[in-house]
Amino acid sequence: MRGRADEDDGDELAAWLREGYDRSFRTACLILGNRADAEEAVQEAFLRAWRFRASLGTGAAFKPWLYRVVVNTCNSKLRQEIPHRDRRSGQELLDSVLPVDDPPGRIAQSRDVVSALQDLPLPLRIVVVLRYYADLSEREIATAIGRRPGTVKSRLHEARRLLAEHPALRSETPDASRSESEVLP
Amino acid sequence: MTMVDEQALAGLLQQAAESIAIPDGAEERIVSKALSVEADRAMKVTPSDVAVIPRSRLAAVVPRGARARALSVAAAVIVVAGGIALSAVALKGSPGGTSSSALSATAAHAGATYGHSGSEAVPSVPTKSANTERSAADGSTSTKGSAFGPSTGSGLPEGVSQSAKIEATGSVDLTIPDGKLQSVLTTLTAVATADGGFVAGTQAQIGAGSPGSPSSGTIVLQVPEPTFASIVSQVQRVGHPTSVTTSSTDVTGQYVDLQARITALQASRQQYLTIMSQANSIGDVLAVQSQLETLQSQIEQLQGQLNVLNSQTTYGRLTVTLTEAGHHVTPPPIHLQSGIGKAWSAGVGGFVSGVEWLIRISGTVLFVLLALAVLAWGGRWAWRMGRRQMI
Repeated sequence: MRGRADEDDGDELAAWLREGYDRSFRTACLILGNRADAEEAVQEAFLRAWRFRASLGTGAAFKPWLYRVVVNTCNSKLRQEIPHRDRRSGQELLDSVLPVDDPPGRIAQSRDVVSALQDLPLPLRIVVVLRYYADLSEREIATAIGRRPGTVKSRLHEARRLLAEHPALRSETPDASRSESEVLP
Repeated sequence: MTMVDEQALAGLLQQAAESIAIPDGAEERIVSKALSVEADRAMKVTPSDVAVIPRSRLAAVVPRGARARALSVAAAVIVVAGGIALSAVALKGSPGGTSSSALSATAAHAGATYGHSGSEAVPSVPTKSANTERSAADGSTSTKGSAFGPSTGSGLPEGVSQSAKIEATGSVDLTIPDGKLQSVLTTLTAVATADGGFVAGTQAQIGAGSPGSPSSGTIVLQVPEPTFASIVSQVQRVGHPTSVTTSSTDVTGQYVDLQARITALQASRQQYLTIMSQANSIGDVLAVQSQLETLQSQIEQLQGQLNVLNSQTTYGRLTVTLTEAGHHVTPPPIHLQSGIGKAWSAGVGGFVSGVEWLIRISGTVLFVLLALAVLAWGGRWAWRMGRRQMI
Protein backbone atom coordinates (compact mmCIF):
# COMPACT_ATOMS: atom_id res chain seq x y z
CA MET A 1 0.00 0.00 0.00
CA ARG A 2 2.78 2.33 1.01
CA GLY A 3 4.75 1.41 -2.09
CA ARG A 4 1.83 2.41 -4.29
CA ALA A 5 1.57 5.74 -2.54
CA ASP A 6 5.29 6.31 -2.98
CA GLU A 7 4.97 5.53 -6.64
CA ASP A 8 2.12 8.03 -7.04
CA ASP A 9 4.07 10.70 -5.17
CA GLY A 10 7.13 10.04 -7.28
CA ASP A 11 5.11 10.43 -10.46
CA GLU A 12 3.64 13.69 -9.26
CA LEU A 13 7.03 15.05 -8.31
CA ALA A 14 8.48 13.93 -11.61
CA ALA A 15 5.69 15.83 -13.36
CA TRP A 16 6.59 18.91 -11.35
CA LEU A 17 10.21 18.56 -12.35
CA ARG A 18 9.43 18.04 -16.02
CA GLU A 19 7.31 21.14 -15.96
CA GLY A 20 9.55 23.44 -13.99
CA TYR A 21 13.08 22.17 -13.43
CA ASP A 22 14.76 23.63 -16.50
CA ARG A 23 13.38 27.11 -16.07
CA SER A 24 13.92 27.00 -12.33
CA PHE A 25 17.52 25.94 -12.77
CA ARG A 26 18.26 28.62 -15.33
CA THR A 27 16.50 31.22 -13.20
CA ALA A 28 18.64 30.24 -10.24
CA CYS A 29 21.76 30.36 -12.43
CA LEU A 30 20.93 33.89 -13.55
CA ILE A 31 20.23 34.99 -9.98
CA LEU A 32 23.17 33.27 -8.34
CA GLY A 33 25.63 33.34 -11.24
CA ASN A 34 26.97 29.89 -10.39
CA ARG A 35 25.96 26.44 -11.64
CA ALA A 36 26.81 24.50 -8.52
CA ASP A 37 24.97 26.89 -6.23
CA ALA A 38 22.02 26.98 -8.62
CA GLU A 39 21.84 23.19 -8.77
CA GLU A 40 21.89 22.94 -4.98
CA ALA A 41 19.35 25.72 -4.62
CA VAL A 42 16.91 24.26 -7.10
CA GLN A 43 17.20 20.78 -5.60
CA GLU A 44 16.57 22.22 -2.17
CA ALA A 45 13.70 24.31 -3.52
CA PHE A 46 11.96 21.35 -5.09
CA LEU A 47 12.40 19.27 -1.96
CA ARG A 48 10.98 22.04 0.18
CA ALA A 49 8.14 22.68 -2.20
CA TRP A 50 7.38 18.97 -2.27
CA ARG A 51 7.53 18.68 1.48
CA PHE A 52 5.25 21.65 2.03
CA ARG A 53 3.03 21.07 -0.97
CA ALA A 54 0.04 21.21 1.37
CA SER A 55 0.65 24.93 1.77
CA LEU A 56 -0.27 25.43 -1.88
CA GLY A 57 -3.90 26.35 -1.50
CA THR A 58 -6.55 24.88 -3.71
CA GLY A 59 -6.83 26.91 -6.88
CA ALA A 60 -3.60 28.82 -6.23
CA ALA A 61 -1.32 29.34 -9.19
CA PHE A 62 1.47 26.77 -9.24
CA LYS A 63 3.99 28.71 -11.27
CA PRO A 64 4.40 31.81 -9.06
CA TRP A 65 4.33 29.58 -6.02
CA LEU A 66 7.18 27.41 -7.34
CA TYR A 67 9.20 30.48 -8.36
CA ARG A 68 8.64 31.87 -4.93
CA VAL A 69 10.20 28.77 -3.43
CA VAL A 70 13.11 29.00 -5.82
CA VAL A 71 13.66 32.70 -5.18
CA ASN A 72 13.47 32.20 -1.42
CA THR A 73 15.99 29.40 -1.60
CA CYS A 74 18.31 31.52 -3.72
CA ASN A 75 17.93 34.37 -1.26
CA SER A 76 18.75 32.06 1.64
CA LYS A 77 21.82 30.78 -0.17
CA LEU A 78 23.05 34.28 -0.92
CA ARG A 79 22.42 35.44 2.64
CA GLN A 80 23.61 32.45 4.60
CA GLU A 81 26.10 30.43 2.58
CA ILE A 82 27.67 32.27 -0.30
CA PRO A 83 28.84 35.37 1.65
CA HIS A 84 30.93 33.09 3.86
CA ARG A 85 32.78 31.58 0.93
CA ASP A 86 35.51 33.10 -1.14
CA ARG A 87 33.66 34.61 -4.06
CA ARG A 88 35.14 33.75 -7.38
CA SER A 89 35.78 36.43 -9.92
CA GLY A 90 33.06 37.52 -12.31
CA GLN A 91 34.79 35.78 -15.19
CA GLU A 92 34.82 32.45 -13.35
CA LEU A 93 31.16 32.88 -12.50
CA LEU A 94 30.33 33.39 -16.12
CA ASP A 95 32.44 30.46 -17.20
CA SER A 96 30.68 28.26 -14.70
CA VAL A 97 27.31 29.29 -16.06
CA LEU A 98 27.82 29.55 -19.78
CA PRO A 99 29.06 26.75 -22.05
CA VAL A 100 32.06 27.33 -24.27
CA ASP A 101 30.83 25.45 -27.31
CA ASP A 102 28.37 28.10 -28.48
CA PRO A 103 29.14 30.47 -31.36
CA PRO A 104 31.59 33.20 -30.27
CA GLY A 105 29.18 36.04 -30.92
CA ARG A 106 26.43 34.44 -28.93
CA ILE A 107 28.81 33.68 -26.07
CA ALA A 108 29.91 37.29 -25.99
CA GLN A 109 26.32 38.55 -25.88
CA SER A 110 25.33 36.12 -23.20
CA ARG A 111 28.43 36.94 -21.20
CA ASP A 112 27.62 40.63 -21.39
CA VAL A 113 24.03 40.11 -20.27
CA VAL A 114 25.00 37.87 -17.39
CA SER A 115 27.76 40.26 -16.41
CA ALA A 116 25.36 43.22 -16.38
CA LEU A 117 22.83 41.15 -14.49
CA GLN A 118 25.34 40.22 -11.81
CA ASP A 119 26.14 43.89 -11.31
CA LEU A 120 22.53 44.64 -10.42
CA PRO A 121 21.52 44.67 -6.77
CA LEU A 122 19.94 41.36 -5.81
CA PRO A 123 16.31 42.61 -5.47
CA LEU A 124 16.50 44.17 -8.92
CA ARG A 125 18.24 41.14 -10.40
CA ILE A 126 15.47 38.85 -9.13
CA VAL A 127 12.63 40.87 -10.64
CA VAL A 128 14.46 41.23 -13.97
CA VAL A 129 15.06 37.48 -14.24
CA LEU A 130 11.48 36.65 -13.23
CA ARG A 131 10.01 39.20 -15.63
CA TYR A 132 12.17 38.88 -18.72
CA TYR A 133 13.29 35.28 -18.48
CA ALA A 134 10.65 33.43 -16.46
CA ASP A 135 7.99 35.59 -18.13
CA LEU A 136 5.98 36.19 -14.97
CA SER A 137 3.57 39.10 -14.84
CA GLU A 138 4.15 41.87 -12.35
CA ARG A 139 1.39 40.49 -10.15
CA GLU A 140 2.92 37.01 -10.26
CA ILE A 141 6.32 38.43 -9.41
CA ALA A 142 4.75 40.27 -6.49
CA THR A 143 3.39 36.96 -5.27
CA ALA A 144 6.74 35.28 -5.80
CA ILE A 145 8.78 37.81 -3.85
CA GLY A 146 6.12 38.73 -1.31
CA ARG A 147 5.94 42.39 -2.26
CA ARG A 148 3.31 44.66 -3.76
CA PRO A 149 2.92 44.96 -7.53
CA GLY A 150 3.88 48.62 -7.27
CA THR A 151 7.18 47.64 -5.71
CA VAL A 152 7.81 45.21 -8.54
CA LYS A 153 7.05 47.89 -11.07
CA SER A 154 9.42 50.39 -9.53
CA ARG A 155 12.16 47.77 -9.22
CA LEU A 156 11.80 46.83 -12.86
CA HIS A 157 11.97 50.47 -13.83
CA GLU A 158 15.11 51.02 -11.79
CA ALA A 159 16.70 47.81 -13.13
CA ARG A 160 16.08 48.82 -16.74
CA ARG A 161 17.59 52.21 -16.07
CA LEU A 162 20.71 50.67 -14.53
CA LEU A 163 21.04 48.10 -17.30
CA ALA A 164 20.79 50.81 -19.91
CA GLU A 165 23.72 52.57 -18.26
CA HIS A 166 25.79 49.40 -18.00
CA PRO A 167 28.75 49.53 -20.42
CA ALA A 168 28.39 45.85 -21.37
CA LEU A 169 24.85 46.33 -22.64
CA ARG A 170 25.28 49.64 -24.43
CA SER A 171 26.90 47.94 -27.38
CA GLU A 172 24.47 44.98 -27.30
CA THR A 173 21.10 46.71 -27.34
CA PRO A 174 20.59 49.12 -30.19
CA ASP A 175 17.55 50.61 -28.44
CA ALA A 176 19.30 51.17 -25.17
CA SER A 177 19.93 54.82 -25.79
CA ARG A 178 16.34 55.61 -26.60
CA SER A 179 14.60 57.99 -24.37
CA GLU A 180 12.04 56.82 -21.87
CA SER A 181 9.22 58.36 -23.83
CA GLU A 182 10.21 56.28 -26.81
CA VAL A 183 10.43 53.01 -24.91
CA LEU A 184 7.55 53.33 -22.56
CA PRO A 185 4.06 53.77 -23.94
CA MET B 1 16.75 59.08 -18.69
CA THR B 2 17.73 56.12 -20.87
CA MET B 3 15.97 52.82 -20.53
CA VAL B 4 16.86 49.43 -21.92
CA ASP B 5 14.30 48.05 -24.32
CA GLU B 6 12.17 45.35 -22.75
CA GLN B 7 11.98 43.09 -25.79
CA ALA B 8 15.68 43.34 -26.42
CA LEU B 9 16.41 42.59 -22.80
CA ALA B 10 14.04 39.63 -22.81
CA GLY B 11 15.62 38.29 -25.97
CA LEU B 12 19.13 38.59 -24.60
CA LEU B 13 18.13 36.95 -21.34
CA GLN B 14 16.39 34.10 -23.12
CA GLN B 15 19.46 33.60 -25.28
CA ALA B 16 21.79 33.65 -22.28
CA ALA B 17 19.58 31.30 -20.30
CA GLU B 18 19.28 28.83 -23.15
CA SER B 19 23.05 28.70 -23.27
CA ILE B 20 23.04 27.30 -19.74
CA ALA B 21 23.16 23.51 -19.91
CA ILE B 22 20.82 21.54 -17.69
CA PRO B 23 22.68 19.14 -15.37
CA ASP B 24 22.28 15.47 -16.16
CA GLY B 25 20.27 13.26 -13.83
CA ALA B 26 19.26 16.12 -11.56
CA GLU B 27 15.57 15.31 -11.72
CA GLU B 28 16.08 11.65 -10.80
CA ARG B 29 18.26 12.64 -7.89
CA ILE B 30 15.59 14.98 -6.60
CA VAL B 31 12.85 12.35 -6.93
CA SER B 32 14.88 9.69 -5.13
CA LYS B 33 15.88 12.12 -2.40
CA ALA B 34 12.30 13.30 -1.94
CA LEU B 35 11.05 9.72 -1.66
CA SER B 36 13.77 8.78 0.81
CA VAL B 37 12.95 11.84 2.92
CA GLU B 38 9.28 10.89 2.81
CA ALA B 39 10.17 7.35 3.84
CA ASP B 40 12.23 8.64 6.77
CA ARG B 41 9.34 10.80 7.85
CA ALA B 42 6.95 7.88 7.52
CA MET B 43 9.18 5.77 9.76
CA LYS B 44 8.72 8.28 12.53
CA VAL B 45 4.92 8.26 12.26
CA THR B 46 2.61 5.39 13.06
CA PRO B 47 0.70 3.88 10.16
CA SER B 48 -2.59 5.15 11.49
CA ASP B 49 -1.21 8.67 11.60
CA VAL B 50 -0.02 8.36 8.03
CA ALA B 51 -3.43 7.18 6.93
CA VAL B 52 -5.31 9.93 8.62
CA ILE B 53 -3.36 13.11 9.11
CA PRO B 54 -0.25 13.61 7.02
CA ARG B 55 -1.50 16.64 5.10
CA SER B 56 -3.19 18.24 8.05
CA ARG B 57 -0.03 17.77 10.05
CA LEU B 58 1.98 19.50 7.36
CA ALA B 59 -0.56 22.26 7.29
CA ALA B 60 -0.32 22.53 11.04
CA VAL B 61 3.46 22.74 10.91
CA VAL B 62 3.35 25.32 8.18
CA PRO B 63 0.33 27.54 8.76
CA ARG B 64 -1.07 29.26 5.75
CA GLY B 65 -1.18 33.00 5.50
CA ALA B 66 -4.88 33.16 6.20
CA ARG B 67 -4.51 30.93 9.23
CA ALA B 68 -1.65 33.05 10.55
CA ARG B 69 -3.75 36.16 10.04
CA ALA B 70 -6.71 34.56 11.81
CA LEU B 71 -4.48 33.58 14.70
CA SER B 72 -3.08 37.10 14.89
CA VAL B 73 -6.56 38.59 14.93
CA ALA B 74 -7.68 36.13 17.60
CA ALA B 75 -4.65 36.95 19.71
CA ALA B 76 -5.32 40.66 19.26
CA VAL B 77 -8.95 40.25 20.30
CA ILE B 78 -7.95 38.26 23.37
CA VAL B 79 -5.30 40.76 24.41
CA VAL B 80 -7.58 43.74 23.84
CA ALA B 81 -10.47 42.12 25.68
CA GLY B 82 -8.17 41.23 28.55
CA GLY B 83 -6.81 44.75 28.62
CA ILE B 84 -10.29 46.25 28.69
CA ALA B 85 -11.34 43.88 31.44
CA LEU B 86 -8.24 44.73 33.47
CA SER B 87 -8.81 48.42 32.91
CA ALA B 88 -12.42 48.08 33.96
CA VAL B 89 -11.36 46.27 37.11
CA ALA B 90 -8.73 48.91 37.76
CA LEU B 91 -11.26 51.70 37.24
CA LYS B 92 -13.71 49.99 39.53
CA GLY B 93 -11.12 49.57 42.27
CA SER B 94 -9.42 52.93 41.84
CA PRO B 95 -10.29 56.07 43.77
CA GLY B 96 -11.74 57.42 40.53
CA GLY B 97 -15.14 56.33 41.74
CA THR B 98 -14.74 58.56 44.73
CA SER B 99 -14.28 61.63 42.60
CA SER B 100 -17.85 61.55 41.38
CA SER B 101 -18.97 60.97 44.96
CA ALA B 102 -16.99 64.00 45.98
CA LEU B 103 -18.67 66.05 43.27
CA SER B 104 -22.10 64.93 44.33
CA ALA B 105 -21.17 65.56 47.93
CA THR B 106 -20.19 69.09 47.00
CA ALA B 107 -23.44 69.57 45.16
CA ALA B 108 -25.27 68.12 48.12
CA HIS B 109 -23.51 70.53 50.42
CA ALA B 110 -24.37 73.47 48.20
CA GLY B 111 -27.96 72.44 48.15
CA ALA B 112 -28.06 71.98 51.87
CA THR B 113 -26.93 75.52 52.47
CA TYR B 114 -29.85 77.13 50.75
CA GLY B 115 -32.59 74.64 50.26
CA HIS B 116 -34.77 72.39 52.30
CA SER B 117 -37.34 69.73 51.82
CA GLY B 118 -37.02 67.40 54.76
CA SER B 119 -39.09 64.74 53.16
CA GLU B 120 -36.34 62.13 52.90
CA ALA B 121 -36.08 59.20 55.22
CA VAL B 122 -33.13 59.00 57.55
CA PRO B 123 -30.50 56.41 56.66
CA SER B 124 -30.88 53.12 58.41
CA VAL B 125 -28.87 52.13 61.44
CA PRO B 126 -25.35 53.37 60.85
CA THR B 127 -22.70 50.85 60.03
CA LYS B 128 -19.20 50.32 61.26
CA SER B 129 -16.96 53.30 60.72
CA ALA B 130 -19.43 54.69 58.26
CA ASN B 131 -19.82 58.40 57.95
CA THR B 132 -23.04 59.32 56.29
CA GLU B 133 -23.81 62.85 55.29
CA ARG B 134 -27.13 63.61 53.78
CA SER B 135 -28.36 66.76 52.22
CA ALA B 136 -31.81 67.69 53.28
CA ALA B 137 -32.27 69.79 50.16
CA ASP B 138 -31.98 67.11 47.52
CA GLY B 139 -31.78 64.03 49.63
CA SER B 140 -28.49 62.85 48.15
CA THR B 141 -26.39 60.83 50.49
CA SER B 142 -22.65 60.24 50.40
CA THR B 143 -20.79 57.72 52.48
CA LYS B 144 -17.07 57.97 53.06
CA GLY B 145 -14.38 56.41 55.19
CA SER B 146 -15.92 52.97 55.35
CA ALA B 147 -13.47 50.47 56.78
CA PHE B 148 -15.75 47.48 56.69
CA GLY B 149 -17.50 47.77 53.38
CA PRO B 150 -20.94 48.88 52.44
CA SER B 151 -23.86 48.95 54.76
CA THR B 152 -26.04 45.89 55.05
CA GLY B 153 -29.73 45.88 55.36
CA SER B 154 -29.64 45.10 59.06
CA GLY B 155 -27.41 48.05 59.77
CA LEU B 156 -24.58 45.80 60.90
CA PRO B 157 -21.75 44.58 58.73
CA GLU B 158 -21.65 40.97 57.72
CA GLY B 159 -19.74 38.69 60.04
CA VAL B 160 -20.38 40.80 63.12
CA SER B 161 -22.64 39.38 65.76
CA GLN B 162 -25.42 41.21 67.55
CA SER B 163 -23.06 41.86 70.43
CA ALA B 164 -21.02 44.20 68.24
CA LYS B 165 -20.17 47.43 69.99
CA ILE B 166 -21.08 50.42 67.87
CA GLU B 167 -20.19 53.97 68.77
CA ALA B 168 -22.65 56.27 67.03
CA THR B 169 -22.50 60.04 66.72
CA GLY B 170 -24.36 62.48 64.59
CA SER B 171 -25.47 66.04 64.10
CA VAL B 172 -28.60 67.58 62.70
CA ASP B 173 -29.05 71.21 61.69
CA LEU B 174 -32.65 72.31 61.90
CA THR B 175 -34.41 75.43 60.85
CA ILE B 176 -37.40 76.13 63.05
CA PRO B 177 -40.16 78.77 62.95
CA ASP B 178 -39.65 82.09 64.66
CA GLY B 179 -40.17 82.04 68.42
CA LYS B 180 -40.27 78.27 68.64
CA LEU B 181 -36.78 77.71 70.04
CA GLN B 182 -37.87 76.93 73.58
CA SER B 183 -40.73 74.69 72.57
CA VAL B 184 -38.49 72.78 70.17
CA LEU B 185 -35.89 72.30 72.88
CA THR B 186 -38.60 70.89 75.09
CA THR B 187 -39.81 68.62 72.34
CA LEU B 188 -36.31 67.31 71.67
CA THR B 189 -35.79 66.63 75.35
CA ALA B 190 -39.02 64.65 75.38
CA VAL B 191 -37.96 62.70 72.30
CA ALA B 192 -34.66 61.78 73.94
CA THR B 193 -36.07 60.79 77.29
CA ALA B 194 -38.96 58.84 75.81
CA ASP B 195 -36.58 56.23 74.46
CA GLY B 196 -34.48 56.00 77.58
CA GLY B 197 -32.00 58.68 76.65
CA PHE B 198 -31.11 61.99 78.27
CA VAL B 199 -29.98 65.49 77.46
CA ALA B 200 -26.24 65.87 77.87
CA GLY B 201 -26.20 69.63 77.34
CA THR B 202 -28.15 72.60 76.06
CA GLN B 203 -27.16 76.01 74.84
CA ALA B 204 -29.57 78.71 73.64
CA GLN B 205 -29.19 82.29 72.41
CA ILE B 206 -32.51 84.05 72.57
CA GLY B 207 -32.58 87.03 70.25
CA ALA B 208 -28.86 87.49 70.71
CA GLY B 209 -29.55 90.82 72.42
CA SER B 210 -30.66 92.83 69.39
CA PRO B 211 -33.86 92.96 67.37
CA GLY B 212 -33.77 90.96 64.18
CA SER B 213 -30.81 88.89 65.22
CA PRO B 214 -31.33 85.15 65.05
CA SER B 215 -32.31 82.98 67.97
CA SER B 216 -30.39 79.77 67.93
CA GLY B 217 -29.48 76.93 70.18
CA THR B 218 -27.73 73.65 70.46
CA ILE B 219 -28.85 70.57 72.31
CA VAL B 220 -26.82 67.41 72.79
CA LEU B 221 -28.82 64.24 73.18
CA GLN B 222 -27.55 60.94 74.48
CA VAL B 223 -29.86 58.24 73.21
CA PRO B 224 -29.64 54.45 73.37
CA GLU B 225 -27.58 53.19 70.46
CA PRO B 226 -30.25 50.80 69.12
CA THR B 227 -32.74 53.66 68.83
CA PHE B 228 -30.24 56.16 67.46
CA ALA B 229 -31.52 56.00 63.90
CA SER B 230 -35.15 56.43 64.87
CA ILE B 231 -34.26 59.33 67.13
CA VAL B 232 -32.45 61.05 64.25
CA SER B 233 -35.54 60.57 62.14
CA GLN B 234 -37.80 61.99 64.83
CA VAL B 235 -35.54 64.98 65.36
CA GLN B 236 -35.68 65.87 61.68
CA ARG B 237 -39.45 66.03 61.81
CA VAL B 238 -39.32 68.70 64.50
CA GLY B 239 -38.09 71.35 62.05
CA HIS B 240 -36.72 71.72 58.56
CA PRO B 241 -33.41 69.82 58.43
CA THR B 242 -30.67 71.52 56.44
CA SER B 243 -27.90 69.08 57.17
CA VAL B 244 -27.80 65.60 58.63
CA THR B 245 -24.53 63.88 59.48
CA THR B 246 -24.26 60.51 61.14
CA SER B 247 -21.18 58.52 61.90
CA SER B 248 -20.67 55.16 63.49
CA THR B 249 -17.57 53.25 64.49
CA ASP B 250 -17.26 49.61 65.35
CA VAL B 251 -15.24 49.34 68.55
CA THR B 252 -15.91 45.67 69.12
CA GLY B 253 -12.27 44.80 68.61
CA GLN B 254 -11.14 47.39 71.11
CA TYR B 255 -13.81 46.24 73.54
CA VAL B 256 -12.86 42.57 73.27
CA ASP B 257 -9.19 43.44 73.59
CA LEU B 258 -9.82 45.35 76.81
CA GLN B 259 -11.86 42.48 78.18
CA ALA B 260 -9.13 39.97 77.35
CA ARG B 261 -6.45 42.07 78.97
CA ILE B 262 -8.55 42.49 82.10
CA THR B 263 -9.19 38.75 82.26
CA ALA B 264 -5.50 37.99 81.91
CA LEU B 265 -4.57 40.48 84.60
CA GLN B 266 -7.21 39.06 86.90
CA ALA B 267 -5.77 35.58 86.39
CA SER B 268 -2.31 36.89 87.23
CA ARG B 269 -3.67 38.56 90.33
CA GLN B 270 -5.25 35.28 91.40
CA GLN B 271 -1.93 33.51 91.05
CA TYR B 272 -0.18 36.17 93.10
CA LEU B 273 -2.86 35.79 95.78
CA THR B 274 -2.18 32.07 95.86
CA ILE B 275 1.55 32.73 96.17
CA MET B 276 0.99 35.23 98.92
CA SER B 277 -1.11 32.78 100.89
CA GLN B 278 1.85 30.39 100.82
CA ALA B 279 4.49 33.02 101.68
CA ASN B 280 6.49 32.32 104.83
CA SER B 281 8.43 35.51 105.24
CA ILE B 282 7.57 39.15 105.51
CA GLY B 283 9.85 39.92 102.55
CA ASP B 284 7.95 37.55 100.28
CA VAL B 285 4.63 38.97 101.37
CA LEU B 286 5.81 42.52 100.71
CA ALA B 287 7.16 41.61 97.25
CA VAL B 288 3.96 39.87 96.24
CA GLN B 289 1.92 42.72 97.69
CA SER B 290 3.78 45.18 95.51
CA GLN B 291 3.04 43.15 92.40
CA LEU B 292 -0.59 42.82 93.41
CA GLU B 293 -0.93 46.56 93.77
CA THR B 294 0.52 47.11 90.33
CA LEU B 295 -1.81 44.55 88.84
CA GLN B 296 -4.79 46.00 90.63
CA SER B 297 -3.98 49.44 89.32
CA GLN B 298 -3.74 48.16 85.77
CA ILE B 299 -6.99 46.26 86.11
CA GLU B 300 -8.82 49.32 87.39
CA GLN B 301 -7.40 51.48 84.61
CA LEU B 302 -8.50 49.05 81.94
CA GLN B 303 -11.84 48.58 83.62
CA GLY B 304 -12.34 52.34 83.49
CA GLN B 305 -11.61 52.38 79.78
CA LEU B 306 -14.02 49.52 79.34
CA ASN B 307 -16.72 51.37 81.22
CA VAL B 308 -16.23 54.46 79.10
CA LEU B 309 -16.40 52.40 75.95
CA ASN B 310 -19.47 50.67 77.25
CA SER B 311 -21.12 53.98 77.91
CA GLN B 312 -20.20 55.33 74.48
CA THR B 313 -21.57 52.29 72.77
CA THR B 314 -24.64 52.17 74.93
CA TYR B 315 -25.62 55.71 74.05
CA GLY B 316 -25.32 57.49 70.74
CA ARG B 317 -24.45 61.19 70.83
CA LEU B 318 -26.63 63.42 68.69
CA THR B 319 -25.95 67.14 68.44
CA VAL B 320 -28.90 69.19 67.20
CA THR B 321 -28.31 72.77 66.08
CA LEU B 322 -31.44 74.90 65.94
CA THR B 323 -31.82 78.12 64.01
CA GLU B 324 -35.00 80.11 63.79
CA ALA B 325 -36.28 80.86 60.33
CA GLY B 326 -36.41 84.36 58.92
CA HIS B 327 -32.74 84.95 59.27
CA HIS B 328 -31.60 83.04 56.23
CA VAL B 329 -32.00 85.98 53.94
CA THR B 330 -30.21 84.46 50.99
CA PRO B 331 -32.70 82.65 48.85
CA PRO B 332 -31.60 79.47 47.22
CA PRO B 333 -30.37 80.43 43.75
CA ILE B 334 -31.56 77.18 42.29
CA HIS B 335 -35.16 78.21 43.00
CA LEU B 336 -34.71 81.44 41.09
CA GLN B 337 -33.48 79.71 37.96
CA SER B 338 -35.65 80.02 34.91
CA GLY B 339 -36.06 77.26 32.38
CA ILE B 340 -33.19 78.63 30.33
CA GLY B 341 -31.03 78.84 33.45
CA LYS B 342 -31.79 75.24 34.31
CA ALA B 343 -31.04 74.20 30.77
CA TRP B 344 -27.76 76.11 30.89
CA SER B 345 -26.84 74.44 34.18
CA ALA B 346 -27.73 71.05 32.76
CA GLY B 347 -25.64 71.79 29.68
CA VAL B 348 -22.63 72.80 31.74
CA GLY B 349 -23.09 69.70 33.86
CA GLY B 350 -23.27 67.53 30.77
CA PHE B 351 -20.15 69.13 29.35
CA VAL B 352 -18.24 68.51 32.59
CA SER B 353 -19.49 64.93 32.65
CA GLY B 354 -18.35 64.45 29.08
CA VAL B 355 -14.88 65.77 29.84
CA GLU B 356 -14.69 63.54 32.91
CA TRP B 357 -15.74 60.57 30.80
CA LEU B 358 -13.11 61.35 28.18
CA ILE B 359 -10.41 61.60 30.82
CA ARG B 360 -11.62 58.42 32.48
CA ILE B 361 -11.46 56.33 29.30
CA SER B 362 -8.29 57.90 27.92
CA GLY B 363 -6.11 55.40 29.76
CA THR B 364 -8.06 52.46 28.43
CA VAL B 365 -8.09 53.84 24.92
CA LEU B 366 -4.37 54.47 25.03
CA PHE B 367 -3.76 50.94 26.24
CA VAL B 368 -5.95 49.47 23.53
CA LEU B 369 -4.26 51.54 20.83
CA LEU B 370 -0.80 50.55 22.05
CA ALA B 371 -1.81 46.89 22.22
CA LEU B 372 -3.25 47.03 18.72
CA ALA B 373 -0.14 48.76 17.38
CA VAL B 374 2.17 46.18 18.93
CA LEU B 375 0.01 43.33 17.71
CA ALA B 376 -0.26 44.78 14.23
CA TRP B 377 3.47 45.22 14.02
CA GLY B 378 4.15 41.77 15.45
CA GLY B 379 1.52 40.16 13.28
CA ARG B 380 2.84 41.81 10.16
CA TRP B 381 6.36 40.78 10.99
CA ALA B 382 5.31 37.21 11.80
CA TRP B 383 3.20 37.03 8.67
CA ARG B 384 6.02 38.18 6.46
CA MET B 385 8.51 35.90 8.17
CA GLY B 386 6.04 33.06 7.89
CA ARG B 387 5.56 33.69 4.20
CA ARG B 388 9.29 33.83 3.71
CA GLN B 389 10.20 30.80 5.82
CA MET B 390 7.18 28.68 5.05
CA ILE B 391 8.38 27.56 1.66
